[in-house]
Amino acid sequence: MTSKSSRNARWGLIGSYVVLLLVSLLYIGPLLMLVNTAFKTLPEFYQDPIGLASSFNFDNFTEAWELANFPQYMFNSIIYATVATVIFVITSVFVAFPIARGHIRGARALLTLYVVALFLPPALIPQFQLILNLNLYNTRQGYILLFLVNAIGMIVLVNYIKSVPKELDESAAIDGCSYPRFVFKIVMPLIKPAIATVTVLHAIGIWNEIILPTIYLTNSDLYPITRGLVVFEGVYGSNWPGLAAAVLMLALPMVILFLVLQRYIISGLTGGAVKG
Amino acid sequence: MALVNKQYLFGRKITPVLFLLPGLLLYLVIAFGPSLATIVYSFTDASGIRGAVVNWIGFENFDEFLFRGVASRDNLDALKRTLQFMFFVTALQFGLGLLFAVILNQNKLKGRLFFRTIIFMPVILGVVIQGFLWKLFLLPRGGPMAEVWGWFGLQSEFLGGTDAFWWVIFIQIWANVGITMVIFIAGMQAISDELYDAAKVDGASGWQLFKNVTWPQLTPAINTNFLLNIIGSLQAWALFLVTIGYKNGTQVLGYLVYAEGFGQTSGSVTSSFRQGYAAAASVVLFLLVLVLGLSANWFVTRREMKYMG
Repeated sequence: MTSKSSRNARWGLIGSYVVLLLVSLLYIGPLLMLVNTAFKTLPEFYQDPIGLASSFNFDNFTEAWELANFPQYMFNSIIYATVATVIFVITSVFVAFPIARGHIRGARALLTLYVVALFLPPALIPQFQLILNLNLYNTRQGYILLFLVNAIGMIVLVNYIKSVPKELDESAAIDGCSYPRFVFKIVMPLIKPAIATVTVLHAIGIWNEIILPTIYLTNSDLYPITRGLVVFEGVYGSNWPGLAAAVLMLALPMVILFLVLQRYIISGLTGGAVKG
Repeated sequence: MALVNKQYLFGRKITPVLFLLPGLLLYLVIAFGPSLATIVYSFTDASGIRGAVVNWIGFENFDEFLFRGVASRDNLDALKRTLQFMFFVTALQFGLGLLFAVILNQNKLKGRLFFRTIIFMPVILGVVIQGFLWKLFLLPRGGPMAEVWGWFGLQSEFLGGTDAFWWVIFIQIWANVGITMVIFIAGMQAISDELYDAAKVDGASGWQLFKNVTWPQLTPAINTNFLLNIIGSLQAWALFLVTIGYKNGTQVLGYLVYAEGFGQTSGSVTSSFRQGYAAAASVVLFLLVLVLGLSANWFVTRREMKYMG
């Protein structure tokens, strides 16, 4: 009986590797194609799209960087992502903490307010009218304003704080420090995984956003890098190697951020209840 | 003295409320309020042009959208397509997410973390890059997929052809199955080893372990994924924007709202902004989300009672 079940287990493992082989082809294949294309010259690409690049030719990168006004777009994206994420995370911890601890009346109702957002109709149109009437259409401030809230991020923070024993922050609170100081010095360090998760997910969301910049930003000096890339794509539509180089430059900062903070993300998402 | 004062402030119930207000107000003004206001806008002829007069026109937008308008036929097709998109994305993403989680939760498996990372990677890359990667990979002339198709004597225009809608479904699943998988893995790791050990002592096989331990114990993750997949796929449309654009025969409701509301119906050329009409379309989408989301919720709650008592 043991031999039969161990034989089954072996077949299970072999089956797993077969599935993973297919998965690798579909997940690594497109990435390899992208990197390979970015190093090709245009004639080389059109002659044989899937052949290996003949040399490490960085011309596409320098060309895309200069042609497409990339430094400006990159700067804009960094500003949008950092400013909005910092404001969002700080204001949200001050909302999530009293809700999770029940320090305020109607804590449950407030949390519900965030949960129902998942079901509500998209805010797209009234939001546009709001920004228009605030005179913030086509401005950096107006664009940043759109990213100062995130219902899912709030729910993640509340759930995580609930999983931290009350005694940890309450015992630290007695020695007479002010409330904001208490939140910054005691609460935030206790919920680091959740803050890392929410920061990464929110910043990545802003970095990758494409719909809102096409609605709110018409001045190309204000474009984030995604919008710049789509415009670049319209102009250099058939220059796949140039586009591939630009796409790689767009992806790199977020991939690095993700790999650095990856360890925190899963434990942050699951309320710290996860083993290894 | 100052110390006492601060202590007093912190001790007062009002202090946490004061510090909570900025975040809450931002949420109400930027997200929650506008979401609800969509319903109000759907009964008006708002245009999106500043200073234009807005009139209350009752159910006219809905009537035009669903029944009377020249485009109502197309709109109903878009509605049907949205449901189709939801069905296939939810079913496949849920199934594959579970399969990947089962595979990548085996301790004996080498390279688990590597595979989890690559499957999750598209989530990090975002929709513009997801779209670009597949436009490149699905290049009809000489691209890798065209090459594979060629081995079987097949030919396809992929994202440029009549099957474009199905390729977007494929990319949507490819891009988001990582989230489903991570939620399942987290759920599996919360299951205590003792339950498995006890079942093994009783001589349970791999399949029986899954059926009698993993599946019932995984209930919270199953519920989360089921709901997130249904709601997410009903509202998803950005991949259509980056891979094929607004093209007849592929539109889903979310894209329709954007196109009508911001005048993108004819490519990138700005035609008219019909924001009241677009708001009506988003209310139709909202009702779809509400009905399907609530039924799904009812379904999972019943299931939960069966397993969790």
